[in-house]
Amino acid sequence: MKIATFTLCAALVFGSSGCGFFDRDEQPPDINFAPYGQGYGEKPDFAQLEYQLPLLPEDRYKITPQNLSLLDQEQVDQIYARLSAGPIPDGAFDGDLFFPHGGSGNLRLSEIAGGGLRGLLVNVGGQKLDAVGETLWKGKVFYRGERLLRNRIEDLSTLKRLGVVEEDANRPLQTIQVNGKEQWLLFPAKLYCGQSLLDGRRESIIIDYAFTDELPGYRRMPDMLAGRDGFAIRDEIRMVYPGFYLGRAYMDRSFVVNFVLYNQEIAERIRDAFMERGEIQEDCWTGTQQVARAPAGQ
Amino acid sequence: MKRALLIVIPYVLFLFIILPLSATTPSAAAETRSVHAQDEPYFAACAREGLNESECAGRLIWFKATAGNDRFHTYVFQQRVGVLIDWYRVLRSDQRGDRFRAWGIINDPACCTPGTPDCPAKSVDETYGMDWCPGDEELLGYVGRTGYRDPACDFRDAPLKEGDEHGPADQRQSACDLKFGTSTGALGIRKFPNPRFDKTAWQRLNRSLASWAGYNRPVAAAGAGEAARSHLQDGAIEPPFLIGTACGSCHIAFDPLNPPADPANPKWENIKGLVGNQYTRISEIMVSGMPSNTLEWQMFAHARPGASDTSAIPTDQINNPGTINALINIAKRPTFAGEQVMKWRKAASCAGSSDEALCWCEPGHDGKCWKKSLEQDTAHHILKGGEDSIGALEAIQRVYFNIGSCSEQCWMNHLSDLRQLDPQQRGFGQMPFNIGQCRRDCPNFRAIEDRLPNILDFFMSAEAHTTDLRVARENQRRTTMPEARYSEQDLVADLEREFGENAVARGREIFANTCARCHSSQPEAAAGQFASLDFHRIDPGNGLREDWLGNDRNISASEVGTYRCRALHSNHMSGHIWQEYGSETLRAQPPDANVREPGDGGRGHYRNISLLNLWAHAPFLHNNALGPELCGKPRHTGNDFYAMRPRYVDGSSRKLLPPDQQPACFEYDPSIEGRYRLYKLSMHELLNPAQRAPKVTLLNEDITLRIGPRLWDGTAKEKLLGFQLTIPSEIDGRGVTAGTLGNFQHKQFIVDLVRAKTGAQELEASLIQRFGEDTGGKVLGDLKAIADELIGQPNALVEALKARPYLIKQVYSSCTAEIENEGHRFGEDLSEADKKALIAFLATL
Repeated sequence: MKIATFTLCAALVFGSSGCGFFDRDEQPPDINFAPYGQGYGEKPDFAQLEYQLPLLPEDRYKITPQNLSLLDQEQVDQIYARLSAGPIPDGAFDGDLFFPHGGSGNLRLSEIAGGGLRGLLVNVGGQKLDAVGETLWKGKVFYRGERLLRNRIEDLSTLKRLGVVEEDANRPLQTIQVNGKEQWLLFPAKLYCGQSLLDGRRESIIIDYAFTDELPGYRRMPDMLAGRDGFAIRDEIRMVYPGFYLGRAYMDRSFVVNFVLYNQEIAERIRDAFMERGEIQEDCWTGTQQVARAPAGQ
Repeated sequence: MKRALLIVIPYVLFLFIILPLSATTPSAAAETRSVHAQDEPYFAACAREGLNESECAGRLIWFKATAGNDRFHTYVFQQRVGVLIDWYRVLRSDQRGDRFRAWGIINDPACCTPGTPDCPAKSVDETYGMDWCPGDEELLGYVGRTGYRDPACDFRDAPLKEGDEHGPADQRQSACDLKFGTSTGALGIRKFPNPRFDKTAWQRLNRSLASWAGYNRPVAAAGAGEAARSHLQDGAIEPPFLIGTACGSCHIAFDPLNPPADPANPKWENIKGLVGNQYTRISEIMVSGMPSNTLEWQMFAHARPGASDTSAIPTDQINNPGTINALINIAKRPTFAGEQVMKWRKAASCAGSSDEALCWCEPGHDGKCWKKSLEQDTAHHILKGGEDSIGALEAIQRVYFNIGSCSEQCWMNHLSDLRQLDPQQRGFGQMPFNIGQCRRDCPNFRAIEDRLPNILDFFMSAEAHTTDLRVARENQRRTTMPEARYSEQDLVADLEREFGENAVARGREIFANTCARCHSSQPEAAAGQFASLDFHRIDPGNGLREDWLGNDRNISASEVGTYRCRALHSNHMSGHIWQEYGSETLRAQPPDANVREPGDGGRGHYRNISLLNLWAHAPFLHNNALGPELCGKPRHTGNDFYAMRPRYVDGSSRKLLPPDQQPACFEYDPSIEGRYRLYKLSMHELLNPAQRAPKVTLLNEDITLRIGPRLWDGTAKEKLLGFQLTIPSEIDGRGVTAGTLGNFQHKQFIVDLVRAKTGAQELEASLIQRFGEDTGGKVLGDLKAIADELIGQPNALVEALKARPYLIKQVYSSCTAEIENEGHRFGEDLSEADKKALIAFLATL
């Protein structure tokens, strides 16, 4: 199912120019993880993990959106915790959400406890949530100078079908051209450096929809669905390498899904310099953690 | 690409004043050095108190060092924990005169309200609405830009102790990492310029530099029952200052011997650093940005003035506020030999050890190493149940984590996240704080650790000496008659006029025979030889009272009978956050067999506390619940927290007494007479338990615990995605305690609920083992029924639990105690004359 999702994503979102990055991957990335067990108490401390097993630039370039989905959530978390925020992105990024290996994308608690409890504690019939899920965590446009982000919506039909798109001839929806194709810009969010809800040792870049209604171009519907009175979505991202970010999406402070963001032009332009120096501009607080051995170039 | 998303339940110019140190620190008479302007009154205090260089260094750290927790109190608490602090509401300069009454915090004598005579700042625009304080002439220039040099960088260390394992070269971490900033106007609360501050954006939001009105203005909630929001939760907005707290924020207090004439305008000579602020509403400060109908307000804002639940942030889900300890005559506090203590100890090398988990040398230093070992030590027992038991230095060290230092580097990742209900995910439960990791990764930790001996010296200094009623009264007389004397005989005579002939002598006799077994540190008391005890005896070696008036040994909660929730505090247990600060000896204590809740891991006990200067420290008990309720009666009624939480209840229904039947509160009065009156009223309640009106902190409205988002589309609220349950303020006609919420083990409940459907047999065995056959069976049956009721309609949980309140109030509660001023009934059988005698004698201690 996950593979199918990304194959489709590549076809729909990136067209022929971006598919390479999202091509099928058969193997998980060959990077080191600290041992862990099932229970929360059996998970390694991120500080010790990074001290002993820092992610070198060459490790980071082994990571792709596809092979992330071949890892389980703990491994994805171990990667995320060893990343720093990097620069606040600027420009258009492609992206998608992914579900890790071993998860069905469904109710995690019920899986842990034995499964079969779908619907017990969660109303699974939230069509609006599903629709929001289909449109967020995809392509985004970062306006770094304004500390603003908008989501690129390629297909409005689902949202329209649910009647959650306010249309006004006097106030047409904003659009953008990506690879020659028109996309709509919805769901504006604020961008800032802030706390990671997973790993507090350094800041992440936060994409916050709480006060979306104060942003230029806000359109009550559907934008409010992501806001403080809607699903209260707050994303956090850290840089895997220049042009590639790993994200975590939360709804009302509960983790819901992982996602990736990619800008091929940036990735290719800065790759050599990053590989050589192992460092890049950091816009956010990077913490004070020491590592046992410095990454290449440092 | 259709995919269903499912939610896991988831502040003159900057100048250095060259002061001859002989005027300030006696031990360095011939030396001169630069003293930062804002430190001048601190050195004057050191001279007044007679502190040596080390003690004075420790005092300055205690009063000012935040050790980097400005990030905690500005970003971490708000964004990661989700609790909002409205610092402007607490610190706004136009309410400086009301600050003590509202928040119990103490105004910094060196600060002023801009625009008032002699205040260097002429307008609150210059200070962003806050007080102007020494150092702000420089600090304010760095608001919105980088490059601020913290005043702590000018801190001059006391000489390294002779024989220090890490000497003789001074290898201490840079003092800059102590992070002093400048005062906010409230002692112990410090500010730092925010380099990310955007002046234009701030003016746009607040329409003025002097106001934070747009930042903290409530934003209408969408839908009935929802709490109002505000931009305090908007992480994109950077306030002008980062706010940090020093240990002094709770421990700095008015000197019982020399209280201020006006508590809102104290002078430096009215300030002491160790006796503990018995008026502070630190809990309310921490939730000052939250509406009262939020879970967070209800969980935090239930401590009495002078008390705080230090396990509310590193939550153990046991509602247990405790008083800020009065640190008196620490040099006489009992220690306990032969305790099994695993801890890091200074070493000169790690030769022979390659395991950094057991031995670590700080890179770039010469022989600055630490080695971890289990040894038999002589240790103090600190905290209410003696949970800090690996040494006095480490106990002080841990205070810095209570105030938020090194939170990001060392401990936020180790806390339990109330929203994480998946036992396989981080945050479901606590993980132990790792001292070695924190030392390595947090420079602020090292800055404090390298100076802990100075802080301990301050604890042992003259500033912690007793504040006897006799001296207080003599001081009081000298304000009008400088040569006045008030002798011990005068005190006794006055007490006997008040309490009866020979009352003091008779009281001593009663105390020796009935109280000293717990409340004396003299070896004769431990041996049962009470008759010859002299409770006022002076140690000729140092002039301190010999008797600490408490043996500091643990007594079971059921024996003392006081509100037991604090005794069940669990953060020191193995696998829990502060594991490394508890000794093996502590954890080996047997549980209190008479307490129904789990008492493993050394829990279930209270230390026998010191009664030194009892006259100045009422109300009593670990939670300040015994005696009149304290109230500030601020002019701004929105900050009248006492009015929000009346505590007296009907003994049987546990419902609040009507307003006209609520006993009057005792208005904050730090004067000598005020403390003495409060002491007498509290002693009366102590010795007459049958006359105590029961006190319970109740929920004052239904509170909904919601985990997972909900959706409001402007017309109808969609069904919840996640789960929610409502703790009603009344169940079966009885009031529900606020503790019910904090004590509800919702994670265990949810996990059991799921297991009732997926692994009933295994769950049954577990429930029977936990609750016994009858209750276990009943719980299983109800869990199965609830699971069935919930299929497809998660909101049904509210009704399901309303029908089975015992699940919340008993089975899944970490502490079921309700009455907060019960217990310690010792002395109730004494005659009225003897009770008076005891009150008279205790006033002399």
